Amino acid sequence: MTTTKRIATDVGGTFTDLVAIETSSAGMKITTAKSDTTPPDFETGVLNVMAKGGIDPKEVDFMVHGTTVVINALTERKGVTVGLITTEGFRDTLEIARGNRPDFFNLHYEKPQPFVPRYLRAEVPGRMTYLGAERIPLDLGGLVDIVEHFHAEGVQAIAISLLHSYANTRHEEAVLKEVQRLWPEASVVASHQITREWREYERSNTAVLSAYVQPVAARYLGNLDESLREQGLPQSPYIMQSNCGVDSLAATSAVPITMVESGPASGFWGAAELGKLIDEPDILALDIGGTTAKCSLIEGGEVRIMTDYWIERSRKSAGYPIMVPVVDLVEIGNGGGSIAWVDDFEKLHVGPQSAGALPGPAAYGKGGTRATTTDANLWLGRINKDFFCGGAIDADMESAKTALSGVGDKLGVSVDEAAQGIVRIANNNMVNALKLVSLNRGHDTRDFTLLAFGGGGAMHAVALGQELQVKKVVVPAAASVFSAWGMMMSDLRRDYFVTQLADLSDGAAEGIEAVFAKAEGEARDTFKAEGVDPAKLTFLRYGKFRYQNQEHTTEVLLDGVVTNAALTKIAADFHEAYEREYTYRLEAPVEMVGIHLVARAEVGKLEMIPAPLGDPDASAAIKGTRDVDYALEGKHPATIYDGEKLRAGMAFNGPAIIEDPGTTVVIHPSNTVSVDAYGNIHILLEGQP
Amino acid sequence: MSDQITLEIIQNSLQATADEMFAAMRKTAMSSIIYEVLDMGTGITDAEGRIASSGAGIPAFIGVLDKSVQFILSKFGDDIRPNDVFITNDPWHGGVTHLNDLVLAMPVFADGAIIAWTANIAHNSDVGGMAPGSLSGDATEIFQEGLRLPAVKLIREGVTDQAVMDIITCNSRMPDFLLGDVWAAIAAVRIGAKRLEDLSDKYTPITFKAAMESFMDFGEKTALAELAKLPKGTFELSEPQDDGRTYNVKVTITEDEFIVDLRDNPAQDPACTNTSRDGTIVCAQMLFKSVTDPETPANEGSFRPLKVLTTDGTVFHAQEPAAIGFYFETEVRVYDLIWRCLAPYVPERLPAGHFSSICGTFVGGIHPDTGRQYTIIEPQIGGWGAWNGRDGNPCIFSGFHGETYNTPAEISEARNGLYVDKMALNTAPGGEGEFNGGRGLVLEYRIRTQDGFLTAGYTRSVVKPWSLDGAKEGSGNFIEVDTVAGGREHYAFVSGLGLTTDDVVRVITSSGAGFGDPKKRDPKSVKMDIKNGFLTPERAREVHGYKE
Repeated sequence: MTTTKRIATDVGGTFTDLVAIETSSAGMKITTAKSDTTPPDFETGVLNVMAKGGIDPKEVDFMVHGTTVVINALTERKGVTVGLITTEGFRDTLEIARGNRPDFFNLHYEKPQPFVPRYLRAEVPGRMTYLGAERIPLDLGGLVDIVEHFHAEGVQAIAISLLHSYANTRHEEAVLKEVQRLWPEASVVASHQITREWREYERSNTAVLSAYVQPVAARYLGNLDESLREQGLPQSPYIMQSNCGVDSLAATSAVPITMVESGPASGFWGAAELGKLIDEPDILALDIGGTTAKCSLIEGGEVRIMTDYWIERSRKSAGYPIMVPVVDLVEIGNGGGSIAWVDDFEKLHVGPQSAGALPGPAAYGKGGTRATTTDANLWLGRINKDFFCGGAIDADMESAKTALSGVGDKLGVSVDEAAQGIVRIANNNMVNALKLVSLNRGHDTRDFTLLAFGGGGAMHAVALGQELQVKKVVVPAAASVFSAWGMMMSDLRRDYFVTQLADLSDGAAEGIEAVFAKAEGEARDTFKAEGVDPAKLTFLRYGKFRYQNQEHTTEVLLDGVVTNAALTKIAADFHEAYEREYTYRLEAPVEMVGIHLVARAEVGKLEMIPAPLGDPDASAAIKGTRDVDYALEGKHPATIYDGEKLRAGMAFNGPAIIEDPGTTVVIHPSNTVSVDAYGNIHILLEGQP
Repeated sequence: MSDQITLEIIQNSLQATADEMFAAMRKTAMSSIIYEVLDMGTGITDAEGRIASSGAGIPAFIGVLDKSVQFILSKFGDDIRPNDVFITNDPWHGGVTHLNDLVLAMPVFADGAIIAWTANIAHNSDVGGMAPGSLSGDATEIFQEGLRLPAVKLIREGVTDQAVMDIITCNSRMPDFLLGDVWAAIAAVRIGAKRLEDLSDKYTPITFKAAMESFMDFGEKTALAELAKLPKGTFELSEPQDDGRTYNVKVTITEDEFIVDLRDNPAQDPACTNTSRDGTIVCAQMLFKSVTDPETPANEGSFRPLKVLTTDGTVFHAQEPAAIGFYFETEVRVYDLIWRCLAPYVPERLPAGHFSSICGTFVGGIHPDTGRQYTIIEPQIGGWGAWNGRDGNPCIFSGFHGETYNTPAEISEARNGLYVDKMALNTAPGGEGEFNGGRGLVLEYRIRTQDGFLTAGYTRSVVKPWSLDGAKEGSGNFIEVDTVAGGREHYAFVSGLGLTTDDVVRVITSSGAGFGDPKKRDPKSVKMDIKNGFLTPERAREVHGYKE
């Protein structure tokens, strides 16, 4: 009997998670484990968690690794000193940025500081035009002095970003080559290696941030690979990316910035894959963790990937752009640890400040005095105080009560009402976030299934689903380690975005087809160089279109080769997609602004094996009953189920609670529940078939 | 059920709706001044036209939409039906600003009665008039500045009035842009109205209205609480202007009132640097909000303690049919006047002066690659003033603009068919203090075809950004034109100047002013300024007394 062993490890701020799945003709065996994260030698934590899970690296057929090393290095400002080389006249682009003041009544607004100070920003003469023609020849004469200056000032990585390099890479390539010749050991990146889209500030900042984290990430990945290979891992791990795919360790080490949002991406990819598995291709995915909630919309089984990604951007700050393919998500500061507070005018707020892991919610009994969403959920009986954190922590209900009454006193309401208020405000914050990815983009939530995961997803999912009137709510098996499962379902994937203006008039097809063909050729070469079987490679072609004179584009999926005959259909598809999102269409000419090509190949992806459906009677899983406060629907006696004892085919009705070591599923009074062949929990809301 | 939590949930949803309208309009607009510069605003008012919530965008537009809706209400009375959409742009008919800014407003009904309005405003590229872009420094009456829309129905009960639409587009030099932008605005008010109907259905119209009411009362409470912390008394300032006139302001702060007295000011301008009284009120509202409570969203209640006094027929209260094209330069002056008047008394709330001009710049001509007309219409970024403890910000938009973005050189070259030779920080001396003002901008456009034009109107060119506590004033805003013939011309106001191939238009914006004695600046900071090329060692010695 052949057994295939796949593992995924995920390094988070506090814990390193492991999911291992063995498949054989006998079925599937799933192992999970958790261990402390071990900075700065993160590979130690990975080896620890593998040992804890009983995994021998020698027997691992396929490994995926996810890490927050890039986003942490950025937010904690723990990257290296970067020097920037740019076009003459534009050394200040990085500091000028876009000039916006999002916090506009605040006259003490503080504009984000550039990652490279002015004295480390150098210029070279030479200009391309927006059409990619050379206007002024490149002069490399100054580079000797520039490199020497960088060296003397302790620069550890160099970013190159020249005007219009998206249209013609030649000048950037020449500078890159010369810098590498002058300083062979230096870590150097040119903007065109990361993105081929226009907007010089966004592209320059992307190159700078990539350079800023490159030595840190390369060291991390190098150490990880070395340790694992020493222990006998047959093949280097694949690395989770922000575009919901995985990439090779070597490619990621060269341009690590593509990992920046890999954590959420794996969960959303898991949602897309699970949707296909259970025949629900249209999914609203919600991931609630300790400090934030993130959501994304999946349509027809496809995640939406964009390059309009910013870190540290808020109503209070302009943030920093990173122009890499990132899953389209909305993130808000609302998680289990989010702190509830009352302002000077007796208004209740939840988040974005979080109690974190330490002191954590008041009920952790570790000195936290401020009420969190988790405390409110405990108080209302939604979380079992006797099975808190899977029984790992004794819930300190006295502290929870004191913290909640602090909120209640300020509002002039009881502890119960304060807890209900916290849950309702938290839910409303999340509903608004979910609307941003659905209703605001012309999608009717009634056509979607809400898939909730992360430690807190299942607790709030039904309330949110009822508010949005979704088709149904699904809580995946092992919801708390769902992201790691998503990694195992990922393909080797690269997204190519190329800016290329073209109209859709007759005869334009050839030019458009050429852009796709060129990008596909590049993709084939890259995948081939990594030993991927060309037969496994598949493409998705998207065009980015707009009405002439507009700026923002709408993506349309194209079917096959672009021919002149197909242009009419493409335009019609654009009109339709546009009208759905914006409620009207125009008689104006349509133009293409660029392409988005998805290239992907399966590399050891997991095949899920269904279990036979058994008896619907779920009484074997019942633990007992308790009163649960459902906030809007009031208090009800709920049946408590042990999640680990639920089996495929079981069914029951709300009010109920399902308790799992990693998560709690809150089932409202009028819901009906069934467990599918993969162990996922399907919840139908009131009045649904 | 109208418990406090429900009210809050409705209020949050109002904010989300205003934001959604903003996002929809931004993505669909055709003019770069809307989608890139985001010279636009969205808002929700209650049934009486009081502002309840506003989207992102620019602060100078937040106080406009309520005045528009109030005018529509007074004009149309009972003749307002579901699915009507109104349009106005005339400052004497609820338009507030200038004719380029089209305001669209849509009533929201529940059970046959109006419960709210959704509205937006955006700068349209061309609405007719004597000059391309509709703005000309040579205008002497509003008739020369474009088509006046005196608050009319554009859509009647869901059916577009094609006659009105045709008149609007026919009067524009850029009808396709205008049509696209107007549809973007219609889509935005409709999306907003739909959301509000759903919200009212879900929570009942009574609760919905109670939420708006309580939101506004909250705004007033916040404002009054902060007002109580301000020094009381009457504060006065007279400030000379670039054009030789003098503007005067008196601000009286009491326990529950903030009175801005602008009655003693020059007669309205025979040219176009005037503003309507409504426009002046918007400026006072912006500064009032910043000095009291910059944190919470603005609504009608936030402005209740504010009183503005003006005299009819003056520059801040122009009479019909005065030209008002460059209203924004007049408005930014009165905004800065109030700011400067109060700053010495509340330095912890108000930094030193910023470049404080819209620096409205208009460049047009024929795109050499497409043969189509292009028009750049853009405000500029510049330096902001320092405050005690921090240097000012380099290159951000003026106090008038907010979530506004400059145009990338790569996009400008493609869209406008000119070259951007340079986009850099302005290192000219100015703004030095214990804490320095932020740097302004140097932006160079190289023209690629014949028969182009330049129109611009900058203030703070002669009278520079004002400093606090003995620091240096800012460097000043202006435009240089290097002609291909070899000359260099210097402008602050210029209308329809001819441009030709290889002329270079150089936009130069001011540094912000400094705070505190420059001699007290930390030598480590001075050293870093020199290293970064912001300061010469000579200037460091002279101004900061720096010794290496």
